[in-house]
This record gives sequence, C-alpha cells and structure tokens, in this order.
Amino acid sequence: MTRWPAIGLAMVLATFQPVDGQRPTSRDAPSTPGDGLPRVERIVLQNGLRVLLLPRPGAPTVSFVMQYAIGGVHERPGETGVAHLLEHMLFKGTATIGTTDVEAERELFEHMDRLHASAVAAAGSGDTVEAQRLRDEIDELEDEARTFVVGNEFDRILSRAGAQGLNATTTSESTTYFVELPANRAELFFALEADRLANPVFREFYSERDVVMEERRMRVDASPGGTLYERHLAAAYTEHPYGQPVVGFMADLERLGRVDVERYYRTYYGPNNAVLAVVGNFDRGEVEAWARHYLEPIPSGREPRPVDAVEPPQRGERRIEVEWDAETALRIGWHVTDSRHEDAPAIAMLSAVLTGGRTSRLYRRLVTDDRIAASVFSSTGPGSRFAQLFQVDLTPVQASSAEEVERVVYEEIRRLQEDGPSLEEVERVRNQIEAGRVRRLQSNLGLAFQIADSESLFGDWTATFTAADRFRVVTVDDVRRVARQYLTPENRTVAILRRSDSAR
Amino acid sequence: MTPRPSPQPSRYRVIGATLMGLAAAPAPGVTQVQSPAPSGRAVIESLAFQPLDFEQPEVGRLEVEGVDILHLEDRGLPLVTVHAYFRGGYGLFPREHYAAAMGLPALLRYGGTSSRSAADVDEEIAYYAHQLSFGSAGGSVTSSLNTLTEHLESGLSLWGDMLTRPTFDQGEIEAWRTRQLEGVARRVDDPARLAYSELNRLLFGDHPVGWEMDEADLDPDRLEPEDFHSTHERIICRDNLVLGVTGDVRRDEVASLLGPFLSDLPSCADSLPAAPIPEIRRAPGIFLVEKELDQAVIAMAHPSDIRLRDDPEYFSALMGNAILGGGGFSSRLLARVRTEEGYAYSAASLLTTPRRHEGLIGATTRTRPDHVVPAIEVVLETMDGLTSEAPTVDELDTTVSQIVNGFVFNFDTPSSIVARSMYYLAQEMPEDWLERYWTGVQEVTPESIRSVFAEHLRPDDMTILVVGDPDRIGRDALATLGPVTRIEVR
Repeated sequence: MTRWPAIGLAMVLATFQPVDGQRPTSRDAPSTPGDGLPRVERIVLQNGLRVLLLPRPGAPTVSFVMQYAIGGVHERPGETGVAHLLEHMLFKGTATIGTTDVEAERELFEHMDRLHASAVAAAGSGDTVEAQRLRDEIDELEDEARTFVVGNEFDRILSRAGAQGLNATTTSESTTYFVELPANRAELFFALEADRLANPVFREFYSERDVVMEERRMRVDASPGGTLYERHLAAAYTEHPYGQPVVGFMADLERLGRVDVERYYRTYYGPNNAVLAVVGNFDRGEVEAWARHYLEPIPSGREPRPVDAVEPPQRGERRIEVEWDAETALRIGWHVTDSRHEDAPAIAMLSAVLTGGRTSRLYRRLVTDDRIAASVFSSTGPGSRFAQLFQVDLTPVQASSAEEVERVVYEEIRRLQEDGPSLEEVERVRNQIEAGRVRRLQSNLGLAFQIADSESLFGDWTATFTAADRFRVVTVDDVRRVARQYLTPENRTVAILRRSDSAR
Repeated sequence: MTPRPSPQPSRYRVIGATLMGLAAAPAPGVTQVQSPAPSGRAVIESLAFQPLDFEQPEVGRLEVEGVDILHLEDRGLPLVTVHAYFRGGYGLFPREHYAAAMGLPALLRYGGTSSRSAADVDEEIAYYAHQLSFGSAGGSVTSSLNTLTEHLESGLSLWGDMLTRPTFDQGEIEAWRTRQLEGVARRVDDPARLAYSELNRLLFGDHPVGWEMDEADLDPDRLEPEDFHSTHERIICRDNLVLGVTGDVRRDEVASLLGPFLSDLPSCADSLPAAPIPEIRRAPGIFLVEKELDQAVIAMAHPSDIRLRDDPEYFSALMGNAILGGGGFSSRLLARVRTEEGYAYSAASLLTTPRRHEGLIGATTRTRPDHVVPAIEVVLETMDGLTSEAPTVDELDTTVSQIVNGFVFNFDTPSSIVARSMYYLAQEMPEDWLERYWTGVQEVTPESIRSVFAEHLRPDDMTILVVGDPDRIGRDALATLGPVTRIEVR
C-alpha cells in the first residue's frame, strides 16, 4: 500500500468563492486566494461584535451561529449552572415578543424575586415549611404572570419562517445559539437576534428552572454514564472549574433566582464577547448591512473576568468508585495540555493511535482480540482553552472486570511509551485527518460552528483549519514522548462505576 | 439554479447609509454606538420577504445490469458517496433468524471477505480514510461508501467485495455476539431505552417490532457462518437493490464505475417473504417497571389505523401530530408539560404510519417521581383537547408555514435528495411524493384535524408504561389512573 498524495486542499477551498462574484472587502486581513483557507470575511463592528461571513454556492439556505465566550468556567462556586440556565431564558422572548403587557409582568417579577430571596433564606435556616410556602406563592404568581405571556413566541416566529434546528448549547467555555433559515428570510435572524440581545425578558423563570433540573436528572442523576462523568471530572480537577458541571449542581440550581441570571446576562452578554458566523448562499453586502443595521447599535458589555484558577500538578493516582444499579463502567483520565499547546497535536495523535477505530491499539486488544471490553473511546476535554484531561472510556464485558481491563490498558500504554507507534499508524492517522479536512467542509452549519468557535475561544477563526497543519509534523518520537510525559500513574484519575453488593 | 434577483431598493439605502457611516467611523477600540437598536415586534412585523428563488436539483436515473441508479452531481468538493438500499431485513424472517439478520450489516463490515481478512479490511478502510456505513431496519439493509474522488476506484472495489463476497469470520461473529450479550445485560441500565422496548413488547407481542434481543437469540447454534450466508443470499442480491451516487462524479461515469460491482452481484434466488401483520394490543392499562431512579420515564400509545398514503386523513394526522407534540416548542405537549408546568425537559407525541399495517399514536416524557401522575394527566388532557376541539387557525398556520417556507431544506444536500428518492423508489411510493406532500399539507384544515383525531386518538385507550420508583411516585397515586400491572425485567 502506498501513501496517497496530499490532497490539494488549497484548490478545494478555492472553490469557496462568494456567490455574488464580488471580492470581499478586506477589513481585517481576510484570507487570500491560495492560502488554503475558506474565503471568510471578518468584520468587527463598532461595539466589538465580530462577524464572520462565508458565502457559498448551494441551496439558498443560511446557517447562523452566535457564540458568546462565556460558559461553566466563569461560574463561581455556588452559582454553577447559571450560564446554562441563562441560555434557556434567552428563548423566552423580549419586551415586545412573547408578551401582551411587559410592565404588568415586571411588577410580578419583582414580587417573585423578593419571595425567592426569602425562600432561600428560610431553606438556609432549616425552615423547610416556610421555604415551601414561599415557593408555592411564587408558583401562584408565575401563573398570574403567565396570563400576560404569549408562549414560545420567539420559537413560533422562526418556525413560521421555515427555520430549522433552532437550538443552543452551553459548554465549559462558551454558549452558542444557532439556527438555519431560507436565504430569503435571513434578515429575520438579525431583527430577532438584536432584540433578544438588547431587550430580553426572563419570564417564566421558575418553571424554566424546574425544566433545567429535569434536564440535570435526565443527563446526570438518572444516568449511570452521566453520573460517572461528573464524578470523574470532579475528582480529577480539584482547583480548576473544569471540575464543575455545566448543567449545575442541584443545590445551586435551587438557590439561583431570576436576578442572579439577569445579573450574569448584564455583565457578560455584551456584543464584544460574541462572535456571529454566517455561512450559506447569501449576498455578502446585504448580510453585512443587516449586521450593521441591527446589531451594531447595541452597547458593549464588560469583559469576562479571567479564569485565574490553575489546576496544580497531580502528585499521585486518584481513584473513586460510584455505586449504581448498573453494569460496570470505567473512566481513566490524565491531565494534559490546553488545545493550543505545542504538545496538543501529538496528544491527539496518541488518542487516535490508542482508540481511533477498529485498527487502534486498545480497540484491537480489548474488543477484538481479548474480548474483555464491549467498547473503548477516548477524548480530550471538557474544554479546550485550559489544561485538558485525556480521558479513556471503557465498557468491560460481564465476563471480565474493570481491574482486568484497566491492567490491559496500562500494558498497551507501556508498549507505546517504550516503542512508540509504528510509522504506518502515524501515517494512517494523518490520512484520516487530511480526509477529515475535506469532509468538514460539507455542512454550512458545521462550518459556521467551527469558525465561530475558533474566533470566540482563540480570537482567530483560521485556527480550526491551521490546526490540521500541525498534525503533519507530528513524529513517532513526539507521540512516544507525550505518552511518557503525560500518561503516568501519578497523573491519572480512575473512576469505576459498579453495582453495589446490595443491588446484585 | 436561476440568477438571484437584485436586492430590494430599500436594501441599497441601508448599505449606502452604512458606507457613509463607515467614513466617519471612530478610532478602533472606542465604543461609539447609536441607540437604540432597531428591534422588537414592530420591526419584525414590518419585514417583507422576496419569494425564494430556487430550482430543485433534478435527480438523474439510469439502469445498469438491471439495477436502478439515481445520480446527482456535485462538484463542490472532491468527495463521492455511493448509497445502497436493499429491500429485506430482520422483520421478514422467523425469530430463529432474528440475530443473524440483525447482525448481517455488522458482519458485512467486520467479517472479512474471500480475498481480504477482517483485519485487512479494517486496515484498508483506515488507510484510505474511507467512510463506510452498514445498517438495518426491519424491512431493509442499507450501506454507503463516502470517499475522496481519487480513491473512488479502490473504495468501490473494497465495498463491492464486502457486499458480494463476505466470509463471516467465526472469530468476528463471536466478538459481535459478545458485544450483543453485553448490550442485553445493559438494556435495563438506560431507563429510556428500557421504556421504549418494553412498550413495543407490550403492544406488538411476538412480532418483529416487539422483539428484543435476548440470550436465546444469541445462542451460538443460531450464529454459525452459514446462518449469515443464508440471510445474505436472501437480501444482498440484485433484485432487491436500489443504488444512489452523489458528488464528484459525472453521469456518464456512473455505469463504468458501478458495473463491476453489479455484475458480481447475483440475482435474487427467491422473492422476499411478506412482512408479518402485527396484532397490536388494544386493551388500555398502566404498567410499571420498578427501578430506583430520580427521574421516571413515561411512554404511552395505542394502535392507530392512519396509513402513509396520498390521502387527506394522512396529511391531517401529520399536521395534528405536529400541533400535539411533534412540532417542538410550538406544540401543545411541550408548551403544557415543559413550559407551563416545568414537569419535564422533553415531551413529545409519537405517530407511526406504516403503509401495510396499523401503527401507533401516543406520547412520551420524563419527570421526577412525584410529578409522574400529574404529568400523565396533563398529557392525556392535552390529547383530549385535540379530539374535542379543532386547533386554532394560528396553530395550523404555524405548522404548515414551517413546512412550506422551509421546503428548501429538503434540497440542502445532494446526499439527502438522492437518499430520499431511493427510498421512494424502493418502497414503490410515487416519485413525486414530496410534491404531493407539499400540496397535501396545505389542504389540511383545523376541522379535518379534529375529525381525524376524534376518530383515531383515544386517550382513555392508552397503554401507559412507567419506568421508575413506585415509592416516590406514589403507588396509590399511580393506581388512580387505573389498575397497575408490574412488569419484571431482568
């Protein structure tokens, strides 16, 4: 088998010409033909909002991704979940969308906020009866406020326009809102997004907080995998907020009030903390004009406070056990680097060599040959800006045990630390990365996510594309070195979920 | 695609104003913004939209070696996707062949070929970075190859080999069986999966929809290579196949590219058996799977005789289902259960409309234990509301507008266009089904929805399954809904 030639990626991306045939006006050093990057134009509005425009041929649809560089790591202990709860609240409408009388609503909000503060105080002092009485009163007031609410109107306006995939997601480091629209209705996005950014109203707050608690139950409290993940991260990170759950601890969610979420919004949701990526078949000039018309007048906000917590070096193996009425599962994590560190490409290569598909070392050994595990995956996370955890997820089969699987994992890692990967293994991963560079260009929404994320987290939309270049220079020795440096016993945290004796 | 129309004059005025504004832009870093932002209801209601200028891409159709091939060229990226749809799946064969038929797609992928060992196949796929998929539904087996154009020939050679000359390596069968047994053991760990499979079992009984893989299915005697070969022979043959090609390939290249694969593919020795007709449970009831959980799963349904066909009843049921709980945040179930009551993160209705037998109509949600009974009551009340009173004109208009205005998304990617056309062809549906659907939904009226739900939706007849902790749900509270039958699961 011969290595296939490098793909002419610059040629592929050169097909990304603006559909209107105009050359983008270069405001902020956009990519130039031949540099191997898509023809994204980056515009910075006067209020600091960065707008990334990528017109492409194809069906007349447009994908919008609005990303704020705010997420779980910006939450203080005691307020976990606030970024995610705010994400939910931004679908509740504005001063004119979703209401028949916003002033009447606001009067009731103030009353509810006072009751909530009293309920938190009562619960804190152990007076659960009074706390419940106050919560019941809040429910009644929220029902009264609901008489002024036009339910889910924000969603309905977009639905009627033919929107697809309206949703949002919150991670450790960012909060991202996205939707796709037919190209002839693209202006609607700007009008609605400007209104939601400038004039949101956090109505139906307490029932939505209940919804978020149900989301936590679904993803964590009633899920063995979700619980194991949460406990594992909490054990691995003792100082850094990567150890906090983005969905929030239940006790924190119970304490959060409408004013907490509104304060968080007022502090951090300035356009200067946001990136808007627009990808699809649209007229560049028209879309820029809408961005300026609707979004530029919105005032800037404060810069997010820097995350100054640093996870101290781990000085010994940590092990935790989670009891659950479920079959055994195992997670092993090692502290590594942030995703921009010079070792990051070699760590990604290491991950692919260990668990990237059926030819990978751990899959072949554990699943195909020894048949002691049903599955094995690895990832780095939970974010990318700060020192990550390289995580391996394993599902031992019933005839085996977590300990046996763990032993074989370490055996394979030792082999890699001693001999490194073969040239063929490295070449195989490189080929997959090269093909991935082409495949990732297929989806407008996927591209919008990639450039928004790179710009939002690293201030450089090209990072998502140039990162692949860094893989080309990773060597066998690099992979062996990072395996030796990071995958050490004292740097790892092991979490095992297994059935308690009483549940057997 | 036709040329785009010129922008509206008003847009030019906006652009002009912006350019003038740029000339007087402040120094970088200084925030100087006008206020307030033009936004709010008045602005949104004043927007006017041009009609969408769009011509549907035309899917080409050709026949090679007696097999229909659909083709849509897309030269944007150096990628090609080849899709195969074979009629025939695990739902057509007796239970003793269930595991072999279910496992056929996996073993086509993992089991090696007469000229390549299983490991060689894995190496070749990884080295050339091909993406291959193999899957199965009750009535079909599907497979696809996605590869860079420069590796198309080698990719097709490998893919054709896997489909036409599999060896079903004994070791790979055993490895697959081990993973399946693990899946059987872990079925009860996921409460949602457990609820849906138990509801299907309750409603469909001994019918493929109600089957759940168990240890007896995975008896090694039922999983010899010969079992896979015989299933393969019945399904992976020329008369069952429809092919689709999209991407960086011209139409005049298709026959020569796919000819070798098709000439290797034998004709089908026997026609496929007819799909069995289920006897779906009609008696209502409350069923409980006891599991200590912080959140219970609720799933409910009863049989429905609404069939997929070009008929006002079908389109009315589709629109009614979207209004009831299939249409996201704008639907009634989500508005009531989630937005108003805060009982659940998700709540949705379900409507299945098989063409040859009855389907289901029902709903599902998840909530904390003490909200189980009130949540069920709200779901049933919401259903009842649509059987007694027509939805509002506004509700119907929202649902239909989303489909009509978003119709262009049906043509978003060449692969989805061709895959849809292949399905219509394989299922012997009208080629213009999408156009009929577009017309049909626009003819639905609020009254036609009320009428179809009054006839077909019966909240009192629901088989309701709850997976959760009865002590926290409240055994007495649950019994207020009706006699409760406890289900034992392993």
